[in-house]
Amino acid sequence: MRKILLFAGILFLLSTQLIQAQEDAFRYLDLIEKKYCGLKDYTTDVNVHFDIEALKAPDMQARLYFKSPDKLKVDSKRIFFFPKEGGFFNPFQFQKKNFEARVIDHLIYDSHQSVRLKLTPINTDTFNRGSVLRIDVERNLIRMIKILPSEGREIIAVIDYGYFGGFELPVHIGLQLDIPPSEAGGAKEFQFGKGGKRISGKVEITYSNYNVNSGLSDEIFTEKEFPGSKARPR
Amino acid sequence: MKLFWFEIYKTFSRWRTYISFGFIALIVILTEVVMKLSANEILYRMLRSFEKDFLIFGNVLNGWFVTAFIMNSLHFHIPFLITLVAGDIVSSEATSGTVRFLLMRPPSRSRIITAKYLTTLFYTTGLVIFLGLICISLGLILFGSGDLIMNYQVPTIRIAFVPEADVPIRMLLAFAAAVWSMTVVASLAFLFSTLAENSIGPIIGTMAIVIVFYVVGNFPFDFFRMLSPYLFTTYMVFWQRFLDHPIPWLEIGNSAAVLGIHSVCLFSIAFAVFNRKDIKS
Repeated sequence: MRKILLFAGILFLLSTQLIQAQEDAFRYLDLIEKKYCGLKDYTTDVNVHFDIEALKAPDMQARLYFKSPDKLKVDSKRIFFFPKEGGFFNPFQFQKKNFEARVIDHLIYDSHQSVRLKLTPINTDTFNRGSVLRIDVERNLIRMIKILPSEGREIIAVIDYGYFGGFELPVHIGLQLDIPPSEAGGAKEFQFGKGGKRISGKVEITYSNYNVNSGLSDEIFTEKEFPGSKARPR
Repeated sequence: MKLFWFEIYKTFSRWRTYISFGFIALIVILTEVVMKLSANEILYRMLRSFEKDFLIFGNVLNGWFVTAFIMNSLHFHIPFLITLVAGDIVSSEATSGTVRFLLMRPPSRSRIITAKYLTTLFYTTGLVIFLGLICISLGLILFGSGDLIMNYQVPTIRIAFVPEADVPIRMLLAFAAAVWSMTVVASLAFLFSTLAENSIGPIIGTMAIVIVFYVVGNFPFDFFRMLSPYLFTTYMVFWQRFLDHPIPWLEIGNSAAVLGIHSVCLFSIAFAVFNRKDIKS
């Protein structure tokens, strides 16, 4: 009986610590969400510069439309490749219901009090495989997102902010990609030649000309084709 | 010049000259219609791995891409179509017994063989231009225009983007390069045609060399890799490099020079052989 009570006591202490850690982690995310609760939508020009040996492309430009909590529209007259993960800013993307979170450590980064959180998706079927966030706790900003290595891949996004319409929004996102060769390229018949190498490099995404809370309608995001654009997500 | 036009008239008076044009038209129309009907499947196969990491917007499967795809698929078959005429142009005179009549006339042997060679090059150029025109025009009608995405595997796996504004001039250069490449095949078939007394030998001989060189050049063994720079077929795909970003001019210049030297040498041999040809026996 005494052993059972001891075991139950240890279990209780451990679970309390675990809950404490989860609550602590979400506290930082809640503060970010609270900071951006007034952000209903934004529109911005985006310039993508690829510095990847495997992706020889001139800079690509587009107009990006975002409406909270998760609507995204890209308007480009030309072909536009946009990084799926870490490429654009959504302060509401790390919802409590979707992730388990824990604090990894506290640190001083760039003279700012920071914390690193590990987020693990609850639904393992989702494409998101979990992330590590570095949050500037003085300004409640996500400064770095590291998509946890999975299938041999790694994506790190470092975000710089500027003030637009009363909100701190990204002016630059530096993405580091590292993708294994087996995932690169399309079907064999659409390839020219032969070979194989890991795809790695940087993607520099620059945002400018923000228009915040202009009252974007939902219809913009449901239209198959945005007015004046040939852009269609594939 | 008169001799050249006379040879052109003779060549294009034969119905078999148009087999190649008909074959190309048929294949291109079939391929593009099927690609149009299977556009979603093609897009999925093209982009499935990139869609893991990128949102992709815009007209990826456009007329320019379809043209590059067909060119890439047909660059092995076009040599065969070229040999149908190039392998026949001199030997047919022997087969039909007209070679003696031809060489008894005032024009020198040198002028006759040069006129025939220029006719072969005219046909080769016409065939490749026809392929380009039909691919691009039908492609743009069915698929529209847009930036060109090329998915390369040499020397590393990579995607090259060519902006829409640059694509027409790049395509022009690519087709010019394709003509230059096919000139070597035409010259080889022309040489064999000069040596042979019938048309089948030069056609089969040329294709045998092209196939063997292609196979040897693509074997994944060190020995064959070592041989690869000495095979003209290695340089024949240099048209693809005009659709790269940035354009590797040095590599293109090197390939063009190697192919040019081959053409000149093959024609020179044909020229010498024809000038010494014994037509009495």
